[in-house]
Amino acid sequence: MKTLRRQDTRIPRRPLLWLAVALLFALPPMFGTLPSWVPLLFLIALTAKFWMQPKGYHLRSLFWKVVLVALILSLLFFSYGSLRGIEPGVSLIVMLTSVKILEAHTAREFHIMIMVAWVLCLCGFFLSQNLAIALCLLIAFTLLLVALIQFHRGSSSAFWPPVRTAGKLLAQAAPLIVLLFLFFPRFSTGFRFQIASQRGSSTGFSDHLSPGSVSSLTNSSEVAFRAEFPDGKIPTLGAMYWRGVVMWHCEGLEWNAPKNPAALPKTSQSSLRSEGVRQWITIEAHDARWMFALDWPANWPSGARLAPGDYLWSDQPIHKARRYEVTSYPEIPNNQLHSGEREPLLQLPAAISPAARALVQSWTAGKAEPRAIVEKALEFFRAQGFLYSPSPGEYGKNGLDEFLFHRRLGFCEHYAASFATLMRLAGVPARVVTGYLGGEYNEIGHFFLVRQADAHAWCEVWFPDRGWQRVDPTAVVAPDRVNLGFSSFLERRAAAGQLDNTQGVLARKLARWPIFARARLGWQTLSYAWDTRVLSFDGDEQESFFTAIGIAGRGPIFFIVGSLLVAIALLALYTGWTHLRTRACGDRIKRIYESFCRKAARLGAPRNPSEGPLDFSRRAMRLLPNDSERIRSIAEAYIALRYAPASDPMTLEQFAKAVSAFVRAS
Amino acid sequence: MRQGGSSKSSFPLAPTRSFAGLLFVLAAIWYAASSQNNAASYLLLFALMSVFLVSIPRTLLNLGGLQATAESIKPAFAGQEVSLPVEVTNESRATRYGIALTLPDLGDAGEHIDEIPAGKAARTVLRFPAATRGEHQIGRLHLTSVYPLGFLQVLKQLSTPQRYVVYPKPAGDQRLPAETARSGQRSSRRELGEGDDFAGVRAYVRGESQRHIDWKAVARGQALMTKQFTAESDGMLYLDLAAVQLDDLEARLSQLALWVIEAERARRPYGLRLPAAEIPPSLGESHLHGCLHALALFQ
Repeated sequence: MKTLRRQDTRIPRRPLLWLAVALLFALPPMFGTLPSWVPLLFLIALTAKFWMQPKGYHLRSLFWKVVLVALILSLLFFSYGSLRGIEPGVSLIVMLTSVKILEAHTAREFHIMIMVAWVLCLCGFFLSQNLAIALCLLIAFTLLLVALIQFHRGSSSAFWPPVRTAGKLLAQAAPLIVLLFLFFPRFSTGFRFQIASQRGSSTGFSDHLSPGSVSSLTNSSEVAFRAEFPDGKIPTLGAMYWRGVVMWHCEGLEWNAPKNPAALPKTSQSSLRSEGVRQWITIEAHDARWMFALDWPANWPSGARLAPGDYLWSDQPIHKARRYEVTSYPEIPNNQLHSGEREPLLQLPAAISPAARALVQSWTAGKAEPRAIVEKALEFFRAQGFLYSPSPGEYGKNGLDEFLFHRRLGFCEHYAASFATLMRLAGVPARVVTGYLGGEYNEIGHFFLVRQADAHAWCEVWFPDRGWQRVDPTAVVAPDRVNLGFSSFLERRAAAGQLDNTQGVLARKLARWPIFARARLGWQTLSYAWDTRVLSFDGDEQESFFTAIGIAGRGPIFFIVGSLLVAIALLALYTGWTHLRTRACGDRIKRIYESFCRKAARLGAPRNPSEGPLDFSRRAMRLLPNDSERIRSIAEAYIALRYAPASDPMTLEQFAKAVSAFVRAS
Repeated sequence: MRQGGSSKSSFPLAPTRSFAGLLFVLAAIWYAASSQNNAASYLLLFALMSVFLVSIPRTLLNLGGLQATAESIKPAFAGQEVSLPVEVTNESRATRYGIALTLPDLGDAGEHIDEIPAGKAARTVLRFPAATRGEHQIGRLHLTSVYPLGFLQVLKQLSTPQRYVVYPKPAGDQRLPAETARSGQRSSRRELGEGDDFAGVRAYVRGESQRHIDWKAVARGQALMTKQFTAESDGMLYLDLAAVQLDDLEARLSQLALWVIEAERARRPYGLRLPAAEIPPSLGESHLHGCLHALALFQ
């Protein structure tokens, strides 16, 4: 047993251990997003604590605390250049937590550490929100509960009971969590602190196309977006061109998209002859403003615009996963080119080599039609020994010539950029489109998963009679890439020995096992559900949910009070139920006798705590002579029931009756 | 003697200090979640809120079916510690955890019981300083618990009718009076009781000290007999309050208490003379406590 004044005692080892494990589970989101020394120093502090704690050491001196904090602040300032923004902020919290860990040694500080750990969980969610991180933080959250419970259980050292209690608490809290999540109002506080952009470099997709910009993504299994076809109309994989950005400005092998495109007016759908394909797209946060849709979107969600070139452009940078519905048509709705628009579509870089000009002149000779020129160009790529490779190597300053006439080895961006440039040389308006091609179908969740590795670039060419038409030169060089999807394409290549990618072979073999394949699909489905059902449930979704169940249009106070009232009602029910389940069972005989004693006390014969039943009955008989007969029989029955070796159930009933009749009679 | 406490009802739940911390963390998460419109953070907020809400009934019921019985308390000298043995019985059908016992009327004395299984009992001893001489009441006995999360404290207030006696603190620098109050012709009288000289045996009375039982006689098969001794009372030592040359009453009582103890240790039969009462000279433990008790209760 311990004294009550725990403030003076050390933190017991076991709760501290639970807390440490919880903190370890709060760490994963920090690796990779923060400078690596931040979580490392945190780990070191945690380890040091376990060395210090049994010896009774802790960070005492105010001087050293000040020095440490100053050191941390300057380190952070040195590596970020500023202390504003989410990542320096999170780093600061992590580092200050480390100092607190070194300093803490009392029970109160243990509670403070638990609170800080909860704040660290919050920080984790600011850095990343994917399902794996969420599960880690859920474990951390649960372990913090376990640490608290273990702390209040004191010295009992059993391993499982606190874990079970924490699990029970969480299970009982689950309905409340769902209730609050659905109904607790989400109003914005207005002020947003800015998240520093750190994802731009890793996603790779950009408004700038250069040799290597797409092929650098081929090893990234990061999810770009997921798409569902609610109407069940699924285009073939080869026709699944997810339109991202249209590039107009040509620099040879490099192309650029406008930084801030204008908005096209909405067109009426009646002008479209064919039926549209409806898609639900859940896009991952990428901090830029492009959005994806199948070729060619004509019906776009609010908060986005259709930019010239018929691609979607978000009004706000996409800082968190977002789900939207879009309808695409197999034709461009407004497929006209005005006289002023033609000129910029033929823009070319100043330096075009004579060889390239000569090549194009050989196609345009004899007033050839645009269609014939396209055919000749494609024939050039097909017949002149061009090869398709995800790692074509670097191209220098004269990249276009080097690619067209010497190396002839390229990835989709090389083919798209060079083809569009050649078309412009030939006087045919052309542009480059970047986006994704294909995707992986998940048969459990019925959605397509599109990864960064599916990134693709293709061309669109203007024909006077049909308007903009898609031309994909990659399809000529590597038809399988287009028809099979990128990963199947790679697999086939690897099987044919054309690819010396040995590191991925084992993983791919494993992935072909049915169990792993199912597990992977299941995980992807869960992850998709997390993104679409949980992460995308924001204020707008909540509003439409309220509309759907018919309670929209009420103020936030109504929902706060309402959800809390329902929660409290549930709690009251639960309290009552638990009380009934665990209340003192006592034995019935004792209860009945106690009620007799209470009645006797009311009549003026209270029983002394030290008095035995016989002594009491004798005294009560003297005090209450009128009831002496009853008192005697009750006392005899009680003594018989209590102390006789085997008592008759009938006696108990008679005893109960006698006691209940006791006051009524007197 | 054992006495059960009876419970009084008052609102049993109160927030603890870490509740303020929880509110602060909840507010911080709410602010962060709403300003970023971050659904995962909202989930964290609601998880924390819900777990806290669900822990309320657990805390509230954690003292259900607990009964505390205080046992009799040994007297103590002022300035020393009083020990109150308490037995806590769990009459409910669930194990109870993390129970603290405190005596709010008697300073910050407290003890922790980590766990009481269903239907079992646990014992602990509460210690608190004996401040002033006299007979005191324990007053309230608080059972509290912050289990499981420590954000709320549930309180069960029991009133214990238990009383305890604090003897005056034995202190003073005056010597034990060597001079005895002789009273003329009674001078040669021998006092029966506890002394040094064997004077015979008589039948043992239950409750008497076993020290003077004639065990040899028992071994011979005889009934229990108590050996009687007489003290050579070349005069009787009467410790008289009026005879103590001090101004302060408490100091005089302290001096008397010290003398009583010294006389007992020296095995000189002593009596006590107070304005209201007189205890005839004798020796032995019960006599000692009788004298100290009289000193403790002196008004």
